[in-house]
Amino acid sequence: MSRTFLPAPYGPPRTVWDRINPVRLIGELSETRYWMYLLLLPSALLITAVVLYPTLYGMQMSFREMRLNRPDLGTGFVGLRHYERMLSDPVFWVSLRNTAVWVTFSIVIEFVVGLIAALALNRNLPGTKVLAVLILLPYFLPNVVAGHMWALMLDPRLGVINDLLVRIGLLEGYKAWFADPGTAMAAAIVVEAWHSFPFFTLLLLAGLKGIPTDLYKAADIDGAGPFAQLRLITLPMLRTIIAAAVILRVIGLVNSPDLLLILTSGGPGRSTQVLSLYAFQTAYRDFNFGYAGALSVVMFVFLMVFAWAYIRITKVNQE
Amino acid sequence: MMAQATRSRSKLFWDVASYALLLLLAFICIAPIVWTFLTSIKFEADIVTREMHYIPPRVTFENYVRLWNQSSYPVLVLNSLVVTSVTVLICLFTGTIASYAFSRFQFRGRTELMLGYLVVRMFPAVLMIIPLFIVMRQVGLLDSTIGLAIAYTSFLLPLFVWMLKGFFDAAPKELESAARIDGTTRLGAMFRIVIPIARNGLLATCVFVAIAAWNEFLFALMLTTSQGSRTWPVGLQLMVGEFQLPWGMLAAGGMISILPVVVLFAIVQRAMVAGITAGAVKG
Repeated sequence: MSRTFLPAPYGPPRTVWDRINPVRLIGELSETRYWMYLLLLPSALLITAVVLYPTLYGMQMSFREMRLNRPDLGTGFVGLRHYERMLSDPVFWVSLRNTAVWVTFSIVIEFVVGLIAALALNRNLPGTKVLAVLILLPYFLPNVVAGHMWALMLDPRLGVINDLLVRIGLLEGYKAWFADPGTAMAAAIVVEAWHSFPFFTLLLLAGLKGIPTDLYKAADIDGAGPFAQLRLITLPMLRTIIAAAVILRVIGLVNSPDLLLILTSGGPGRSTQVLSLYAFQTAYRDFNFGYAGALSVVMFVFLMVFAWAYIRITKVNQE
Repeated sequence: MMAQATRSRSKLFWDVASYALLLLLAFICIAPIVWTFLTSIKFEADIVTREMHYIPPRVTFENYVRLWNQSSYPVLVLNSLVVTSVTVLICLFTGTIASYAFSRFQFRGRTELMLGYLVVRMFPAVLMIIPLFIVMRQVGLLDSTIGLAIAYTSFLLPLFVWMLKGFFDAAPKELESAARIDGTTRLGAMFRIVIPIARNGLLATCVFVAIAAWNEFLFALMLTTSQGSRTWPVGLQLMVGEFQLPWGMLAAGGMISILPVVVLFAIVQRAMVAGITAGAVKG
C-alpha cells in the first residue's frame, strides 16, 4: 500500500495537547517506514533476553567449571573436559540409549493411535464431535496430574489396572510397574502416549480436512479399497503435516524430562534415565552446571542433526 | 448393483468400526480422570482395601476440605494464578503487535525473524533453565512470581505469536483498507478494526498460553525455592515426596487443579483447535 495516495491522517499540530498527545504521536509513528520494526521490538528484546542470551550463556558454560554449591561458583575455563568426561561416563551412554527407546516407541504409538483417531473422526459421523473433545482433552492436562493419575491406577497396592488384569486372568498378582526395571520404561511410555497422542490427532485431522474428496471418489471408481486409499492418497497427502508433527513431538520428547521426573526420577536404577533428565538432575541435584550445560548442548546438537536429516529425507521422498 | 451393495455394506462396516474405536479411545482418555475423581470422594479406608471398590460405598468431600485447610494449597493456587495472569499479559502486550506485524507487513528480514521465532522452540529447556537461574538470581527475580512469568515467555511468546498470526491472516484485509482510505492511521486500523475482528482467535490464543503456564512444572521447580512463589504443580509434587500425601488428598488436589483447564478447554476448544492446527499447517 503506497502512502502517497492516502490522505494525511493528521493535520499539522494546532494546540499544545496535539504536540504531546501520546495516541496522536504513536499514530504518526505508525505511518513511518519503521512501524513494523517498532511493533516487533518488544517481543524480540524479550526473546533475546530470556532465550538467546541464556542459551548462549549455557553453551559457554559447558566449557567452564561451574558448581553452584561453591562460594566462588568455581568458574574456570576447562575447555573440552566436560565433553571428554561424557565419553567415559556410563550414565551418559545409558541415558542416550534410553532416550532413543523413549522417543522411538512414544512417537510410533502416538502417531499410529493419533492417525487412527483422526481417520475415524474425519468420517464426521453424528455424535462424534463430543467424543472428539474427550479424545483431545488429555493433551491439555498438566504433566503432574497425568503422572499421578496413572501412578494411582498402576499402584502395586491399590491400582485399578492391576485389579482388572488380575480379574481377567492376565496377571497372577498385583505388579509394581514402576519399580521393576523391566517394565518401568514401558509403563512410562504408556502414560506419555496417553498424554500426547491427541497432538497427532489434532494436526492430522486438520490435514485430512484439506484433502480434496474428489481423489477418494476417483479411487472408489477405480476400485481401490480403503487400505489402498490410505496408502496411495491419504498418507502421501499428509506428508508435510506428518513431518511437522513428528519434528515438534520429537523436540518435546527429547527436551522435556517432566513426565519421567514425576513418574520415576530415572529409576529404578538407571532404567528410565533419559538425557534431558540426567542433565536436569546434574544441575538441580548436584549443582554441577558446567556438566549439565555440556549434556544439554549435546542434546541440542542431536536434535538439530535429526531435524535437518528428517527434513532432507522427507523432501527427497517428495521429489 | 452388486458393487453398490458391497460398497454400502463396507461403508456400514467402517461406520460401526469408527464408532467402536472412538468410544474406546474416549473411554481410555477419560478413565484416568474419572478414576481420580472417584478416588477423591472416597474415604481413605475405602481406597486401600482388600477388595477394590469401583463405585465408592460412601461419598465424602473431606479430602478436598483437608487439602484446602491443612496444606498450603490455597497459596500455591494463588501463586499459579498470578504467574499465569502475568504470563498472559506479557504475551498479550508484546506478542499481539508482533503477530500483527508478521501478518500484515512485508519487510526485510521477515522470513528470517519468523523462522527464528520457530527455532527457539528447539532449544532444550534445561539449557535455558540453568543460565536463567543464574541471571534471575543476579537481578533478584529468582523465586518470584514475576520472574517465573518472564521465564515462561521464553517458550510461550513464540507460540503465542505463531498461533495468533494464523487468526490475523484469516481476518479479511478489505475493512482495514477501507478504514485506511478514510484516513485512519495504521495504529487506529490495528486497534479498532483488525484486533476486534480477530478477538475470538485472540481469546483462544490467550487461553492456550494460560493453560500451558498453569500446567508448567520444570521451570517452576528450578526457579522457585520457597512458599512465597511456588506454583501448584511443584507444591503438589513436593507434598507427595515430603509428607507422603494420602492418595485421597492427592486425587483431590489433581481434580482442583485440572478443573480450570477442563472448563476453559470446553469453552474455547473449537477456536483453539482451529488456531493450533492453522499455525501448524502453515508452519
